[in-house]
Amino acid sequence: ARICSIFSDAQRNVATQRKLVISLRKLHEECCYEPVNPPKSKGRATEEDFGETEFNEEIGRCLLRVLTVKKSEPVGDRSVRFLGQFLKHASEKDNAIAQPDADTTDAFPETPASRLTSYILNLLLPLLVAKDKTVRFRATQIISHIVNTLDSIDDELFQLVRLGLLKRIRDKESAVRVQAVLGLGRLADDGDNENDNSDDSDDESSGSGILEKLLDILQNDPSADVRRSLLMNLPFAPATLPYLLERARDCDAATRRALYSRLLPALGDFRHLSLTHREKLLRWGLRDRDENVRKATARLFRERWIEDCAISRLPDEEGAAPPPGQLSAPNYDALLELLERIDVVNSGVESGIAFEAMQAFWEGRPDYREDISFEDPFWDELTAESIFVARTFNAFCRHSGDSMVQSMAEDKMPEVTKFAFILQRHLNVLIEGVQKVALEQDPDAEEDTVQQEFAVEQLLHIALTLDYSDEIGRRKMFSTMRESLAMPELPEECTKLVIEVLRMVCDPNPAGEREFCGIVLEAIAEVHDTIIGDDSSVKDESFHSARSEMSDESTPTKAKKVKKSKSSSSEDGEEGAQDEEKAVREIMVNMKCLHIAQCMLQNVQCDLEQNSDLVTMLNNLVVPAVRSQEAPIRERGLLCLGLCCLLSKNLAAENLTLFLHCFAKGHEALQAIAIQIISDILITHPSLLAPLPPGADTTTASPTKSPSKSNDPQANPLLKPIYKLYTRALSSPHLSVQTPATTALSKLYLSSVFKDPALLHSLVLAFFNPDTRANPHLRQALTYFLPVYCHSRAENQLRLARVAVGALRVLVGVREELEVDGEGAEEDMVGLAVVAGCLAEWTDPRRVVGFSSDGAAGSGDASKVVSGDVNAHMLLAEDVLERVGASGCGKEERKALLTLLAKLALPNAAPPAGSPAAEALGRIVASTEEALEGKA
Amino acid sequence: AGPKRKEKEPFEIDFAAPMSQALADALYTPASSNSTVSLPKSQWKSKTRNLLPDDKHFNSRQLLRLFLKPKARMGSRRPGAGSGGSGGWAQQGAGGAAGPEDQG
Repeated sequence: ARICSIFSDAQRNVATQRKLVISLRKLHEECCYEPVNPPKSKGRATEEDFGETEFNEEIGRCLLRVLTVKKSEPVGDRSVRFLGQFLKHASEKDNAIAQPDADTTDAFPETPASRLTSYILNLLLPLLVAKDKTVRFRATQIISHIVNTLDSIDDELFQLVRLGLLKRIRDKESAVRVQAVLGLGRLADDGDNENDNSDDSDDESSGSGILEKLLDILQNDPSADVRRSLLMNLPFAPATLPYLLERARDCDAATRRALYSRLLPALGDFRHLSLTHREKLLRWGLRDRDENVRKATARLFRERWIEDCAISRLPDEEGAAPPPGQLSAPNYDALLELLERIDVVNSGVESGIAFEAMQAFWEGRPDYREDISFEDPFWDELTAESIFVARTFNAFCRHSGDSMVQSMAEDKMPEVTKFAFILQRHLNVLIEGVQKVALEQDPDAEEDTVQQEFAVEQLLHIALTLDYSDEIGRRKMFSTMRESLAMPELPEECTKLVIEVLRMVCDPNPAGEREFCGIVLEAIAEVHDTIIGDDSSVKDESFHSARSEMSDESTPTKAKKVKKSKSSSSEDGEEGAQDEEKAVREIMVNMKCLHIAQCMLQNVQCDLEQNSDLVTMLNNLVVPAVRSQEAPIRERGLLCLGLCCLLSKNLAAENLTLFLHCFAKGHEALQAIAIQIISDILITHPSLLAPLPPGADTTTASPTKSPSKSNDPQANPLLKPIYKLYTRALSSPHLSVQTPATTALSKLYLSSVFKDPALLHSLVLAFFNPDTRANPHLRQALTYFLPVYCHSRAENQLRLARVAVGALRVLVGVREELEVDGEGAEEDMVGLAVVAGCLAEWTDPRRVVGFSSDGAAGSGDASKVVSGDVNAHMLLAEDVLERVGASGCGKEERKALLTLLAKLALPNAAPPAGSPAAEALGRIVASTEEALEGKA
Repeated sequence: AGPKRKEKEPFEIDFAAPMSQALADALYTPASSNSTVSLPKSQWKSKTRNLLPDDKHFNSRQLLRLFLKPKARMGSRRPGAGSGGSGGWAQQGAGGAAGPEDQG
């Protein structure tokens, strides 16, 4: 009875459980050990014959009352917790009594507590397979809780518990599976330990067998709760680590968050992770779709990882480490190490993760922001890590909305003139380095130059953020950029950035742009002349300059080939080798010049025909390149020509057929380039596809139509081949073609350049078609595009509604084919109900932007729409009903159509009589009646 | 003033209660077979290992720039030309959904 009331009290709250544990233990001792003193109180006299067996039975009886308590009731969990606490306390006490002096633990003595535990486990084990899910849940919970609370249980029982729990990890209820994996996580851990220090082979296999099963569950269990519980309860070991880290991409956001916010901080020093893991974890976490995962990752990076580096730099003294829960003071060397540990030379490039990681770092570490300084000596010797600190600090401050933070960058960064000198010095070091690498004499030169190239790129990024209102500084930067651009050795990425800086220091107005073009074209001429000039005047040095040029273009294989052929050539081979060398050099020169031109054109907006310098460049550099026999030159030439077309509608009109031809005849790389160029041209000059004015001479072959007869505008003859190109590209087997086509179509439809229903139909199919599973880029682009397109304008929505029924019909066919294939192939495609749901959602007229303000009483309730226009759902309803009644409509299709119909929202209130909407509704009602009669 | 809220009687276990038939049934009715309380075997394996597909971080920015001139915003040369009003789609949040599977 007293046991009973203790349990009653224990279920109410956790705070008093400690006390209750002690009083229950008192009872326990009284029942199991000979009473030291005769009972004092009268009440106990009645319980004198209450022995250990009775005690155990009474505990068991109470426990049974817990088993049917629903999962949602906190009293259940509290009771279980109480039992665990009691067993732990009791076994500690018992062990102390049994072996007051001994510190050996290898023998498990039988004690009252262990007998009670065994009694409970035996009571519960059969209940693991109860029909009632609550009983299974509670039984599993209690057993797992006991396993996790106690140090040891009886060997025989251990095997039974293990088997029982292993069955429950396949339970139908995810809540039961959660409890089962919680218990087994501990057993797997034990098994692992025994691998190390036990010679019992049975235990060894049992432990690792459990682990294997649990890792399988971690990957495959359909419930995120199960995976998450397991993630938090598996032991850290080299064997489990890859499985644990893989959950960084789990489809459940809470699981990903748990990994970043709980598991990884607890994992220990991040430097034990491989470089690949570090980079992936950062990249996945910082770019996660869930904001909380991103935040947890940022915190991990700027508080845990930096701390690992900082702590190891602290002096080995007492009290040097910060108190628990606090972070070490800013340490510049630790920050450099952190950047080195994430391989900043590779992760710090454009679109690499290091930049984002450092933005999050500066954001959350104002102490480092304060502490950092960039005094003069800093700029003398730059490493990839140190300059990256400066660049990211500068970027963070300049983009900050806080003026205090902004002024911090101005205070700590050198002023423009000084910075230009620093940049000039490092550019010179880089150019020398490139020349040294070309000579292949200094083995360290290559590594040094890679670092220096990275450093110069970062400096140029800083240069892009500076304020050039100071004329002296502006001029210094201008001349520095101009000089370096004329260096053939300047690497490509630097070239691109130098041109951007150059555009910045020229005036933003048209005159500034003209100056900018002039300067860049001069530099192109210089690069061209340096090399060609060397060749004709100083023959002995030609070899040297050719090689340095080639290394700059990062084609070492070619450079080596030339060198080999030169050195191995005999007297009579000399001439041929020189010819070959000259040809290779010409290609290099051309590639370099085209690259400069391309970068320049990306920063120009003027009308091409108004700029004679650009026209000259087009005719003398770009056009010959497009006609070149060499594929790389031709491709770069086409890109430049495309960029020129963006600056001139006439040029674009003249060349569209050329680009169409490139797509039709080219390999996939050329096709991708052609799609990009054509799409950009159409976006920039949408009027190229405008209908021709009546009577215009179409010039292209359409002899059937005599221009003189028609007074209507004629469809533009370019439309057909262009639509054909996109249709082909969308079904291309090459992702490099399919992906830009999808993006381009999204743009062209959103900007209403395209209105063609057939291509829209293809886009809907591509979204659902299992064939595009391998192209997540396409899927994600369309996930964004389709709803945005439909919900941005009512007319777009009507366009989609018109193709919906046709698309559904095709998809029904696709699915039926999959089902014929069997072997779960239909899992590759979403169900037709999902398809119908998407179609209904996209075409929902209530979702169109501005719907509620369009006289719809602001409620978003379809019944209140009284506009006279036919909306997308009405249109769709008509189409669905027509198709349902059609003879070719199969059973599956009819089912899908009716699912769709059920999701459509038609107005309850009558639209104005005689309006198109009223007529449409009338037809819908009529065909519904017809369909019903047909069925009856 | 809000409506008077009824305090929900907190559930408590009556440990003193005798074994009822209902409790006994719940406790001692075993599952008719292992399969009725187990996860169907078809759900033991997940084709995707429950992992997300590669995120491509598609968002409105990608629709607003040209392929050839990624830094220049579309239509910056002739503001307003061609698009005839984007209908505000560009303001919509950056989506990162995986594909049709996410719609279900």
